[in-house]
Amino acid sequence: MARRSGNWLDSAPVLADTVRFGVPEWLTSELAAEIGRGIIVTIVVTLVTTASSFVVGLTAAIGRRSRRDWARRISATFIEIFRNVPALILLIFWAFAVPNLLPADLRRTVFFRNGFWDLLGDITTLPLPYYACAAVVALTCNTGAHLAEVLRSGLDAVPPDRVAAARSLGATTRVAYFTVTIPDGVRIAFPGVINRLIHNLKNTALVGFVAVPDAFQEIQGAITDTFQATELLIAAAILYLALATLLEFGLRRIEVALWRGRSLDRTVDV
Amino acid sequence: MSEQIEFLWRQLPNLLWGFPNNRPGGLLLSILLSASAIAVGLGLAVGLAFGRHSRLRLVRVTAGRVVWTLRGIPLIVLLVLLFQFLGTGAFFGIEFSAFWSAFTTLTLYAAAYQADVLYAGIAAVPQQLRDDARLLGATPTAVARTVTLPYSLRTMRPALTTQAITIFKDSSVVVVLGVTDLTTNARIALGGNVANAPYWVSVYLLVGFLYWCVAFGIARIAERRIEHRPRPIASAYV
Repeated sequence: MARRSGNWLDSAPVLADTVRFGVPEWLTSELAAEIGRGIIVTIVVTLVTTASSFVVGLTAAIGRRSRRDWARRISATFIEIFRNVPALILLIFWAFAVPNLLPADLRRTVFFRNGFWDLLGDITTLPLPYYACAAVVALTCNTGAHLAEVLRSGLDAVPPDRVAAARSLGATTRVAYFTVTIPDGVRIAFPGVINRLIHNLKNTALVGFVAVPDAFQEIQGAITDTFQATELLIAAAILYLALATLLEFGLRRIEVALWRGRSLDRTVDV
Repeated sequence: MSEQIEFLWRQLPNLLWGFPNNRPGGLLLSILLSASAIAVGLGLAVGLAFGRHSRLRLVRVTAGRVVWTLRGIPLIVLLVLLFQFLGTGAFFGIEFSAFWSAFTTLTLYAAAYQADVLYAGIAAVPQQLRDDARLLGATPTAVARTVTLPYSLRTMRPALTTQAITIFKDSSVVVVLGVTDLTTNARIALGGNVANAPYWVSVYLLVGFLYWCVAFGIARIAERRIEHRPRPIASAYV
């Protein structure tokens, strides 16, 4: 609570003291603003990776069930590689290892200082946007591969009579696939998808490792500034619990909306 | 190319079982750490899972809250938070080293995830099976020990395997406490030396490959074992 002149609390000294007592002295407004920015970074990274890994996961799941041999093989390779390597290793690899492929001066122009990264830096207000992009790519690979397996089992579980009904109504195989199998498969797999996406939210706490100023990174920075480790770490835990609860709530709403007016017991949606 | 191979060859023992002055480390420590955390965590998970099925509301709610909390906090936050308490001797007056703190955290983390799986496994035990055991004169505790637990462990074996692999991969996060596991040793091997910059990609490819080998290997072995084994309880039940 910032101290402002003319605050109505000033006229009620007892109450004002209680409120000021609630906000510790070390928590300055600059510190709060930094942590707030970190929270926004965490939320943005979570939302971006949620969307991208869903797209990647669905594509890989469809590829995994494809009739075409090459599509199946590429998808299987993607899934098995990125599912079995820790997210942290992927993060360090894309962010720190890949730029080292180039010699120092070229590295700077390609990954850090050119029109594209400057523009991205201006938009996101991040000092080194490449790291954020690398983090998003790494998390997308990891979560995408896990989602692919979840979604594949969902697609496999679609009752065949629903597809047959669409076919008998005149839909081509392709149309039936896109209007029946994929939407139903996503619906069936959605509880698993929710689980994995919450895991993804927690994985975003790792992006601080690769110099992305997310909430946990900012909180750790605040600890070095203030030495209030216990309070700030408990705050971090509560923050992530809250974000996870919020994300789960939102995704459950989406799940309910996906099922509205539909049931797998009926062959055709009315 | 040849210097790449030479560098990797020189670092390979450090990555596999740690630097000479600090063994076991590297991949060996990762495996030991996560395996023991999974084993001890499974014991706790059994308690938590039965707790969530308890007839006492207080036990049920408490177990549920514990699992929910441990599952909702990222492992990295949990590691740093618990080290803040354990490492300074705030609990029991014992100062945990980074390794033991990491082990404790990983155990709790594993317990929460496994408890969730076992909770579902216990719910999947047919009531008929338990009732039959009770009719044959088994006490409720004996039913839990000889029927419910083995049955749920067996039905949930694939899910528990997946969870074990996840915990193994997540154990890479202990780098935040400086426990000399595979990830940490890779960082130490590369160090802050600019001359090592060309080796980053190859070292992390190797590290990723090592993690991949263990994770994929366990998954494959588990898959084969499940394929070759008929469901024993189901046949006993008929």
